[in-house]
Amino acid sequence: MTNGSGPGPAPSTHWVDAVGAAVFALVAGFALLLLVAPSLIVIAVSFEPRAYISFPPSGFSLKWYWAVFENRQLTDSVQVSLMVALWVSLLCMALGVPAAFASIRGTFPAKAGLNAFLLAPQMMPGMVIGIATLFFGAYIAFRASNTMLVLALSVFCLPFVIRITMARLADLDPRLDEASANLGAGKLETFVRVTLPQLGPALLAAGAFTFIEAFDNVTVALFTSDVRGRPLPVELYYLVQNDSTPAIAAVSAIEIGLSCLVMLVLGRTVGLERLGGPATKT
Amino acid sequence: MTHIQLEAIHKSYGQTQVLNDCTLEIARGEVMTLLGPSGCGKTTLLRTLAGFVRQDHGRVVVGGAEISHLAPNRRSVGYVFQNYALFPHLSVAENVAYGLKVRRRPAGEIRERVAKALHLVALDGLGARFPAQLSGGQQQRVAIARVLVLEPEVLLLDEPFNALDAKLRLTMQVELRKLIDRVGITSIFVTHDQSEAMMLSDKVAVMRAGRIEQVAAPLAIYDRPVNDYVASFIGRANVLSVEVRGGVVASAPEVVANRADGPARLIVRPENLAIAGADACWSGRILFASAQGPSIEYEVEAGLPEPLRLVVPRQAGEAALPAGAAVGVRIVDPGACIVIGGGSGV
Repeated sequence: MTNGSGPGPAPSTHWVDAVGAAVFALVAGFALLLLVAPSLIVIAVSFEPRAYISFPPSGFSLKWYWAVFENRQLTDSVQVSLMVALWVSLLCMALGVPAAFASIRGTFPAKAGLNAFLLAPQMMPGMVIGIATLFFGAYIAFRASNTMLVLALSVFCLPFVIRITMARLADLDPRLDEASANLGAGKLETFVRVTLPQLGPALLAAGAFTFIEAFDNVTVALFTSDVRGRPLPVELYYLVQNDSTPAIAAVSAIEIGLSCLVMLVLGRTVGLERLGGPATKT
Repeated sequence: MTHIQLEAIHKSYGQTQVLNDCTLEIARGEVMTLLGPSGCGKTTLLRTLAGFVRQDHGRVVVGGAEISHLAPNRRSVGYVFQNYALFPHLSVAENVAYGLKVRRRPAGEIRERVAKALHLVALDGLGARFPAQLSGGQQQRVAIARVLVLEPEVLLLDEPFNALDAKLRLTMQVELRKLIDRVGITSIFVTHDQSEAMMLSDKVAVMRAGRIEQVAAPLAIYDRPVNDYVASFIGRANVLSVEVRGGVVASAPEVVANRADGPARLIVRPENLAIAGADACWSGRILFASAQGPSIEYEVEAGLPEPLRLVVPRQAGEAALPAGAAVGVRIVDPGACIVIGGGSGV
């Protein structure tokens, strides 16, 4: 009992600490590898010069990137996905921001119930929302189309916008609104001059997340998207099933690159730590 | 000349009555303090004036015009918030310019008036900073400049010194009073700190549970409190249950009471009591003594529900009487005692 938990610098505690730190580093490194490795492999595969997927690639070529841009089916589906993502983001912002205001600032009966209802789609698998929308559409003779996709995805994404906006809004001092009114500003002007600028980063984050989610969602899109003008994720899904060329990896690599770019830009302008949860007070 | 009139203001939230028949008149250029413990309704009354709270009944009149029905942004009433509520995303100069921008004043005029306002509160050169980069005292001055730049009719301040540490508080209190005198604006403070009220105001309105108990100059409230609540809220006081018989207090015949015989309460300030020999009104034992440089404080057990509190001047080299010593207590100036209506003491 001389070393171990006794007072003084016992060597065994150092030994335990060192092992603990090593294990922690190992687990963290492994987790990081698991998260990043698939993306890195996909990027590597996209440079494969031959016509089938292999890792490690047998050489280096950019030909599949050119193939992607020459493939009308793929470029069309990118356009569809961009339009869908844009409309979903706009719709979700238009509905979600006022909803977040109501649930934070409002005082009315059944507020808790409304909150639960608004956030419910988050608990639901995308597939369920997709199938439910499809069946409900069939009931009123509304066929799967990209309009339906936009509507279904909006339901799916609405909680993102509401939650991010709510988190920031709960952090804002309502006395700032009173101060603004006291200085002569009306409600609209207060919103534009005081609330919006402080909400800006959160709104940007909400918009970006919604856009990305709507752009690459498969589960909802599989059931509700148009048969002819398919969005990119669905197009890729079918492509993988029929012929798997490194072109798919090239598309993925481009998407990864764009996502990184968006995160980089948001990180630089807004600060990544402010994107997710409630913002830290400055 | 009356500038602000609050007439019979009532306000309830559900079952709770927050303001009960509050009537107050404030003269032009006067500094009034609403004083009371937390939860007494003083901030609600101030917010009613600013329009943040709509009263259930009663009228708010400023400069002869009723403003009860006006929205907060239509009232010419400057409000300084307890936490200052500066806009964190705007610089100091932009904060001060806010009201002028809302009023669509030309840029040149805004620049000029902002510079003047910042000069008034001695913040020249700090216009480009952001609120988070300022000390508490500086933030407070920005909040004041932000409303004064609009030249409002009235300045309202909700516990403006609460967020400051004790040392800074005293300097800021003096500075603010000087500033108000220079601008000559009718001002209303809210505070729970009686020394702050004494120092800052021309008049004090003492509030309790939604009611205004007494409105008077600070010293008048100290010398002539209308009841034991006001007496013990402003300074300290001994409140004793006594009998009035034949126009004087039975247990202290030198105190004249202009009231009918019967039970009453006698209010005596601690400094109006002294240790005495033969001419004592009360006799008892010292419970506790503490010498504090210029004065000595005693608590004397004299067979009353509460011990008597005394503050007596101390001579150089004088030691306090020991605890347990038998002493007499007399009243120094009977004229400064107050006898009010019956019931038992506090």
